[in-house]
Amino acid sequence: MRSSWKIAAIGLVTATAMALSACGGSTQPSSGHDTAVTGDSLTVWAWDPTFNVYAMKEAGKVYQKDHPNFTLNVVEVPWEDVQTKLATYAQSGQLDELPDIFLMQNNAFQKNATNYPQLFTALTDAGVDYTQYSPSVVNYSTVDGVHYGVPFDNGAAIAAYRTDVLKEAGYTLQDFTDITWSDFMTKATDVLAKTGKPMLSGLSKSVDLIMMMVISAGGSLFTEDGKPVLVDNEILGKAVAQYQQMVKAGVFLEVNGWDQYVNGFVNDGVLGVINGCWILGSVQTATNQEGDWGLTNLPKLDGVSSATNYSTNGGSSWAISSKANFGLAADFLKATFAGSTELYDTILPSSGALANWIPAGKSSVYEKPQSFFGGQPIYSTIVDFSTKVPKFTPGAYLYEAIDALSVAVTKTLSGGDAKAALQEAQDAVEFAQQ
Amino acid sequence: MIKVIRKTALYAFLTIVAVASVFPLWFMLVGATNTTQDVLSSRLWFGSNLLRNLRDLTGVQDLTGALWNSTVNAVTATVLALIVCSIAGYGFEVFHSRGKDRVMSILLLAMMIPFSATMIPLFRMFSTMGLGNTTLAVILPAVSTPFMILLFRQSSRSFPHEILEAARIDGLNEMTIFFRIFIPTMRSTYAAAAVIIFMNAWNAFLWPKVILTSNASQTMPMLVSNLVAGYVTNYGVLMLAVLIASLPTMIIFLVLQRSFANGITGAIK
Repeated sequence: MRSSWKIAAIGLVTATAMALSACGGSTQPSSGHDTAVTGDSLTVWAWDPTFNVYAMKEAGKVYQKDHPNFTLNVVEVPWEDVQTKLATYAQSGQLDELPDIFLMQNNAFQKNATNYPQLFTALTDAGVDYTQYSPSVVNYSTVDGVHYGVPFDNGAAIAAYRTDVLKEAGYTLQDFTDITWSDFMTKATDVLAKTGKPMLSGLSKSVDLIMMMVISAGGSLFTEDGKPVLVDNEILGKAVAQYQQMVKAGVFLEVNGWDQYVNGFVNDGVLGVINGCWILGSVQTATNQEGDWGLTNLPKLDGVSSATNYSTNGGSSWAISSKANFGLAADFLKATFAGSTELYDTILPSSGALANWIPAGKSSVYEKPQSFFGGQPIYSTIVDFSTKVPKFTPGAYLYEAIDALSVAVTKTLSGGDAKAALQEAQDAVEFAQQ
Repeated sequence: MIKVIRKTALYAFLTIVAVASVFPLWFMLVGATNTTQDVLSSRLWFGSNLLRNLRDLTGVQDLTGALWNSTVNAVTATVLALIVCSIAGYGFEVFHSRGKDRVMSILLLAMMIPFSATMIPLFRMFSTMGLGNTTLAVILPAVSTPFMILLFRQSSRSFPHEILEAARIDGLNEMTIFFRIFIPTMRSTYAAAAVIIFMNAWNAFLWPKVILTSNASQTMPMLVSNLVAGYVTNYGVLMLAVLIASLPTMIIFLVLQRSFANGITGAIK
């Protein structure tokens, strides 16, 4: 029996060694790419057929007008799977199956570009004019001053409220515009007392709202050189305290799942949303509430000199892979997502896909009044919001920091010591960075 | 009187458990006929949105392609795995030796290694072989699993050795004994194994997602995953897709239910 265990142990060790030896491969970033436009076919990974995939297909049509032989193969890959595939490809050293272009969540961009540089190509020679984007959005896909992405999906934060119910409570949309969070608390508490409904909701283990507050005041969870700062971070501390105050007062309803969150504002349970502008697609599924919504900016943090009413949550950018036909991929992105108002005018009405590319926001399509929001020209308003978002330092380990912060906030909400919880969160991020 | 109270309590308990078990299926079924708003407000009765949900589903996803791919993958993997694992399990038990016991120990240890630990070397291996984005790459890792070999080995223990000896005396060779005597005798075990392998192959998600890179090779679990990847989730469409994706495994289980129970408990017909 003993000898059979020995053999089993040797077998296991051998198998593990073989498995580990199979991993590895080059970790060098792509260099020396050819900028000449050759070939006529590109493969792209993106998620969401009615949004990103649709936008990319339309971009293909725009590019085909000047390049009749051009073909575009858009493969639908959900974001989580893009991440799994990229990690697998990078760690196995097998990059042959990489597409030419892939979409990447802004929050994860720096981590991927830092940890797996062999998957990316720098866009220094791509000819994209980055001055036509807000610095806050370009920063997500910039590592050590080098651009790796073309910003696409606008994640500018918005506040949208049920104006019909607010009116019954004696308020207008203007009362919730350009205000501070303490103003918001006063008014939202009054609305709750009069209507019995909270103004906002969010997932119980999500810190999206706290992050939006931090970004709106020019804060971050990291220093410029990438060190986590969750303890003694004045802006973060104020944001966490503000969030807790709202939850305890009942003006912010914590829910347990995404469907519950959407159900809240779609079925009259909650009177508003504060989130990335992409949430408006879900808001507008409540077709019976057409004309009852209004859109405005966020409240700003009290007592912070850098505080603004503008923030961001989410968004994504296109990256060119190290296995790409770089010349064609760069020319395609430059001519479409970084240079075609026609493209943005087409995709906006059909999918609600909003541009980060500032010139697109000046188009007449963006100025069109939206009946769901009482005739407000919400799209040009959101593009305007996006240009006012303070520059944000995401840090390569943003997702880890957000997860750790989420645990800390849950602990403090259940009565734990805030400082100790934030210290634990900071320790967790520092450990992840090792 | 006490007997009546006991029975009432028992039936009440069983009713609660039965409702709790059936409720998710019911919600999925009625959800497939409702709109997003209805699903989110937990409407528990049928709506009139079934055709629209189906149109929306087929409008954004290749439903027939995904069904076909899943069927091909699952059926091929089931047939091959039944053959390979049953021969292996039979061999380990019938042609028993100490050396084979040791090999079996190593196989059992391999069960402890999570798939995520072997995925990267596996991907490297298949990519190097030029099998990336092929059906073969999806099926091959599912063809031989330690658990199935163990199941067949354990079942082979209850296979009467007298029959084997009688067959050998009658002049049958080992292959004939396996195919003409062992397989028909172990029908229940095969049915149980078929249900487990088919369910695993049909529901396989992580490996197909990593190794497959084209829309044309998408499977049903990948299709369902695509539906919740967007900013806006159409819950009616999602419920319909989940319903369609669940039907084959439900049907297979219901058809082989009795044999499955016998196979798991080791009964021989």
